[in-house]
Amino acid sequence: MNSRQLLIRDALVLFGLTGWALSLPYYGSEFAVSMALTCLMYVALSSSWGLFCGSTRYLSLATSAFFGIGAYTSALMLERIGWTESILLGAAIATAVAVAMGAAVLHLRGTYFAVLTFGMTELIRHAISYFEKSVTGTVGRVLAVVPERDTIYLTVLVLAAGTVALSIAVRRTRFGLALMGIGADEQRAQTLGVNTRRVKLAGFAMTAAVAGAMGAAVSVRWTYIDPHTVFNPFIGFQTVLIALIGGPVTLWGPLIAAVVFSLLAETLRLQAPQVYMMSLGMLLILSVLYLPGGLASLRWVTLRQWRDDTRAWWRERRYEWSGEKEREKRRARERRLV
Amino acid sequence: MSDARSEVLLEARDVTVRFGGLVAVNAVSTRFHAGELVGIIGPNGAGKTTFFNAISGVVEPTAGRLVARGRDLTGQGPHRYAAHGLARTFQTPRVFADMPVLANIEFGLKFAGRRRRRYWLWGDEQGVPWALRDAPGILRLIGLGEQAELPAGAVTPAQQRLLEIGMALATRPRVLLLDEVAAGLTEAELEEMAWLIRRLRDELDLAVVWIEHAVTTLLRHVERVIVMHQGRVIADGAPSEVVRNAEVIEAYLGDEMLDEDEGARRGSVAGAPGGPPAGEPARGEPRP
Repeated sequence: MNSRQLLIRDALVLFGLTGWALSLPYYGSEFAVSMALTCLMYVALSSSWGLFCGSTRYLSLATSAFFGIGAYTSALMLERIGWTESILLGAAIATAVAVAMGAAVLHLRGTYFAVLTFGMTELIRHAISYFEKSVTGTVGRVLAVVPERDTIYLTVLVLAAGTVALSIAVRRTRFGLALMGIGADEQRAQTLGVNTRRVKLAGFAMTAAVAGAMGAAVSVRWTYIDPHTVFNPFIGFQTVLIALIGGPVTLWGPLIAAVVFSLLAETLRLQAPQVYMMSLGMLLILSVLYLPGGLASLRWVTLRQWRDDTRAWWRERRYEWSGEKEREKRRARERRLV
Repeated sequence: MSDARSEVLLEARDVTVRFGGLVAVNAVSTRFHAGELVGIIGPNGAGKTTFFNAISGVVEPTAGRLVARGRDLTGQGPHRYAAHGLARTFQTPRVFADMPVLANIEFGLKFAGRRRRRYWLWGDEQGVPWALRDAPGILRLIGLGEQAELPAGAVTPAQQRLLEIGMALATRPRVLLLDEVAAGLTEAELEEMAWLIRRLRDELDLAVVWIEHAVTTLLRHVERVIVMHQGRVIADGAPSEVVRNAEVIEAYLGDEMLDEDEGARRGSVAGAPGGPPAGEPARGEPRP
């Protein structure tokens, strides 16, 4: 397929999925809608994470910081300004924080970058906790005025579809190419004329904007928020996990993995929370070991390869267990003696 | 020596690079002119690569200034150097291994090599040599046209070195900085590489600065050679003068090297620049 056909295919898939998600509230149960909301939230978070961190290989754990900033923005401002405005404001504040954070830590690579983004997330969380306790004298906030369920669902859907569309678009631009170049060899990209500093800042800010908007849109579902729920590092980890399992460099990987995750989460979390966490861990290990490109890189060829490998392994075991292997060895030894 | 009339493309003024207490490059001043092929030689640890890193913006000099065509670039990022016509290769080939060979070339064209078009949407890009017009053209120039669709990680190391030169050319440079592009190549490949570099210089009017450990081959092809030793320039001039320089002989070349090189130079006078490599004399033969 050439690039134009790929674009058309991706656009059609996105269009179809969006239409299907749009119709869900009309026939789905309350439970299905709430599951779809979680799913869409992670689709947006991990797609935008993959867009920057996947292609540049800068592992950011700051998603929960931006999410929390968005959530607090909408909690504070929703009564004063409108729904759309508070989401935009959440995205804007998250972007501003990301630019400041990025300017400080984006020259670091690998572990240092990951640890520092995590540290800054914790810093923001504790700063807000402290502020709430000492200045406003509350632990959390109750959201008295919340929009209707359908409004929230529609907003989250628009954000998720918009993020995937953004991901499709960015991959086809010079900016996306620059991100890929940074991931492949940052210094080489620099000597070929990429202003890596600016590109990284823009990419990081873009991720943050999506996370901030998502935080602002989703938090109203909870009616009560405190720093420990909205700045929960688990949101950040889960985003990374989903993107890694799905395939951080791919377009559809984060989406596929997000669907798998929300199904797992909703079916297992209530009955067997430990099993849920364990299966997350197992999935991550399996995908890193056997599918480094993520679920989206799975092809029939891969499956066939696995089947053939398993068969070969099994044949080998039977050969060994039948005692024939030992006998072959002995015969070879005797032949040498003669 | 270089032609005084031709344009100065890059000027280094007292460039010094310190790593803690170590002075890797010590007050190096030099100029590179258009159409000049300059070799840099020196023992390991002489500061050649660090000097390269400094003049391509990868390492910021501790002191001194770098001026490219009258514009002071000191302290700016490597992308600014690339935008002002300085392209480099790395000692170990650093290509984008997952991308096809053609995409590797296109990368440079889309960033530092991008020029304004004469008309919006169509028309030629301004001030671009015909040979560097598009990615397939550049691939043909370096002789990798056949490998265009292969992933860059799958071609041979020798081809990766060529590809690195191609990526550098894709930034439409005026100065080409080659850091040991011929390392690990066979004698025949080395000779071919040298002729490619000369051809590029002639066709594109580049200033080519070439670091190489294969000194005899290098000295046969360049018009000017800079010898570095412990971060300093100890000689700068035509190869025939430099190999007679007492300090150079002591620091680096040794008597044996001088003999061998002289023989080679005498033979190579016949092969004028731009000619085919067929007329190359056999090197290393005992002198009469």
